[in-house]
Amino acid sequence: MLAFIFRRLLSGVILIAVISFLAFLLLYAAGGDIPRRILGENATADTVAKKAEELGLDRPLLTQYFDWLTSAFTGDLGRSWFTGELVTTSVTNRVAVTLSIVIGATVISAIISVVVGVLAARRGGAVDGTVQVFSLIGFAIPGFLIALFLVLVFAINLGWFKATGYVPLTTSVAGWLSSVTLPIIALSIGAIATVTQQIRGSVIDAMSRDYVRTLRSRGLSTNSVVYRHVLRNAGGPALAVLAVQFIGLLGGAVIVEQVFAIPGMGQLTVRATTLGDIPVVMALVIVFAIIVVVVNLLIDLAQAALNPKVRLS
Amino acid sequence: MFRWKATAATIAIAAIALTGCAGGGDDSGTSDSGRADRLTLTAIIGPTSYDIGQGAEYGNRSPFFQAVFDTLLQKNGEGEIEPWLATDWEYNEDNTVLTLTLRDDVEFTDGTPLDAEAVVASLERFRDGTAPQAATLAGKEFAATDATTVTITQPAPDPSLVNLLSIAPGLIQAPSTFDDPDSATEPIGSGPYVLDTAASVTGTTYVYTANPEYWNPDVVKYDNLTINVIEDPTATLNALKAGEANGAKIVNNDTIPEIEASGWTIEANELDFQGLLLFDRAGTMAPELADVNVRKAINMAFDREALLEALQAGYGTVTEQVFPTTSVGYDEALDSTYEYDPEGAKELLAEAGYPDGFTLNMMSTAAFQTTFDLVAQQLADIGITVNYTDPGTGNFITDMLAPKYPATWMALEQNPDWQLINFMIAPEATFNPFGSQDPQVDEYISTIQNGTQEEADQATKDLNAWIVENAWFAPFFRVQGTYAVDADTDLEFWPSNAYPSIFGFSPKN
Repeated sequence: MLAFIFRRLLSGVILIAVISFLAFLLLYAAGGDIPRRILGENATADTVAKKAEELGLDRPLLTQYFDWLTSAFTGDLGRSWFTGELVTTSVTNRVAVTLSIVIGATVISAIISVVVGVLAARRGGAVDGTVQVFSLIGFAIPGFLIALFLVLVFAINLGWFKATGYVPLTTSVAGWLSSVTLPIIALSIGAIATVTQQIRGSVIDAMSRDYVRTLRSRGLSTNSVVYRHVLRNAGGPALAVLAVQFIGLLGGAVIVEQVFAIPGMGQLTVRATTLGDIPVVMALVIVFAIIVVVVNLLIDLAQAALNPKVRLS
Repeated sequence: MFRWKATAATIAIAAIALTGCAGGGDDSGTSDSGRADRLTLTAIIGPTSYDIGQGAEYGNRSPFFQAVFDTLLQKNGEGEIEPWLATDWEYNEDNTVLTLTLRDDVEFTDGTPLDAEAVVASLERFRDGTAPQAATLAGKEFAATDATTVTITQPAPDPSLVNLLSIAPGLIQAPSTFDDPDSATEPIGSGPYVLDTAASVTGTTYVYTANPEYWNPDVVKYDNLTINVIEDPTATLNALKAGEANGAKIVNNDTIPEIEASGWTIEANELDFQGLLLFDRAGTMAPELADVNVRKAINMAFDREALLEALQAGYGTVTEQVFPTTSVGYDEALDSTYEYDPEGAKELLAEAGYPDGFTLNMMSTAAFQTTFDLVAQQLADIGITVNYTDPGTGNFITDMLAPKYPATWMALEQNPDWQLINFMIAPEATFNPFGSQDPQVDEYISTIQNGTQEEADQATKDLNAWIVENAWFAPFFRVQGTYAVDADTDLEFWPSNAYPSIFGFSPKN
């Protein structure tokens, strides 16, 4: 088990190193004249050249990458070229914001999906039909449209929630709830639609299996069969879908954070990549890669715990 | 099922409880000091660095700097220069030495005195740094002759110097922070507000509290100031409608009717012009442009009113001049030099030897596709085929100034006269990348720099007329810069900056 975790972490580190190098090359390929972008049209050519030197952009590409890499290993990710902020501060502040929204959306979509998915699978008929229709709608409507609709109704017209901005949990619990509820709902809907379908399918599939018939023949209640046995078997694939959803939600957060003007990783990613803020983009690439590696590892472990037949070795 | 009902009830109660904390419209009550509690603004861009040597900038970044720093001089609502940190300023006879007298009662918020030494250090930091306007102080020497006297010595007269001291180059930062890398995000100035770094999120939310020791408390109308950077126009609109801001910079003029319908007041100015910059006036890259008739024909090809309507929903004013209406050189009559006349333009092209037109290489960029399509269409109507290349967003200005194209569409700021001349007309100007030069232009420029005020004003008028007559540019219109304020707030909008002065806001009583 430990050997498995160690191997996965090691391959994760190699993966991250490769990704960081590719990201660096891509950023330069797409780059354009970053000092000019920082300074705008008012700057003279001399000032632009001076800025390039200040940022170290006049050095060879590989030297720049190597310098970045060695600094990164010592925990120094530099400062944003466009805000002057320490990249570590920048990213740390925003990770918490995005994770609170994405984890919130994941938990809510997991709970609702299990309840609705099982309900649809067990009841069938009109209930199942309704769930199917709503899933399809939830799946089809783009997240940003849902977000815009929620802002219009619940923030602007009813004034129940904040339309823009983020209040940290430490500042005010009510304020935090007011700022994250709509983004979480906007993010959840698509995920609920997908995961509900997965759970429904898995439960229907499991219910027709021999072991269910055996359990029923022993006189176990339907509830017991479904919640103690069927869900356990259906849980594996559902968890895998949920993990993919979680990573997908990080992408969805990009749009939702723009609509709600929330200072999360999504907003930072959009801003930093559009501007060419290389120190920030590099840090974000690393953080996203770490999250993906860790989430995948956790899912493997969870699946093993759920189903001993899944061998980690 | 009962549990579900209970859960639903809990959610409903939570939602009702939350209504108490949503929205920010209840912040405008005035306090005992005669000030209102909080002013909340939205901006479209944040500061790149609070270190004035790296990031000092006005335009859309001005409120961030104005909040924490003072400038040596200040611009009032009419755009006139007034005393601020400097109470008095005077030139020597040949306008090469400017002597400034400073207030003696100003301290930085870290307790160090703001004296002549600090001012000199700050000016030098700006001059030697990499802020966008750093070059405006190039070649100038600064000296503190006593605690409250600073002299600025320059090799030649600079008619823009006094104006510069009222914007970014005139910002004074505490020298005690020069060696601190955190000064990029933790500014120390002597300004009306102090940045609350704990409550701020760099790049997104800037929270300030009034400086209790400010030397000029009468101009500070709010105990707290928050500036939220919102890049997305829809999110800005949502913030307005939800009452989460008192003032907002509006980038999309199409939304003006919707904003006004929501009870907001629109304040407007006109700072930028959009149009073609006909750079290659000597015809080194596009020989056709060397003929003034070709440049005139290009000017006649554009239906400026239609372009303004199509591209800016009519918000703005058509113009054929690069000098702004606030300039002494501006002449309204010049705005009808080139009537929209495609047939006349074709005749001029034929006279110039291009009866079948020609092909012109220009740059495009996806963000302004409609503009580029319309420009190409109007030029096609007179026989000029436009061949567009998209250099990629990050290279647009670089390739323009390289220069890689004989002409280009661009939106440019209409600065005060001397800055404008050195920005787009003088042989060395940034936006004169082919170095166009003409003895007549040189003479006008020399008179503006060295002549009496009267001579300089006349030369500015003559220069503007010459530039229009010789069609160095083909401006289309000045774009309306738009700012919206809520019903609780009064605003006196600066005529000469993209973002209002933070001293221009006051609570309505």
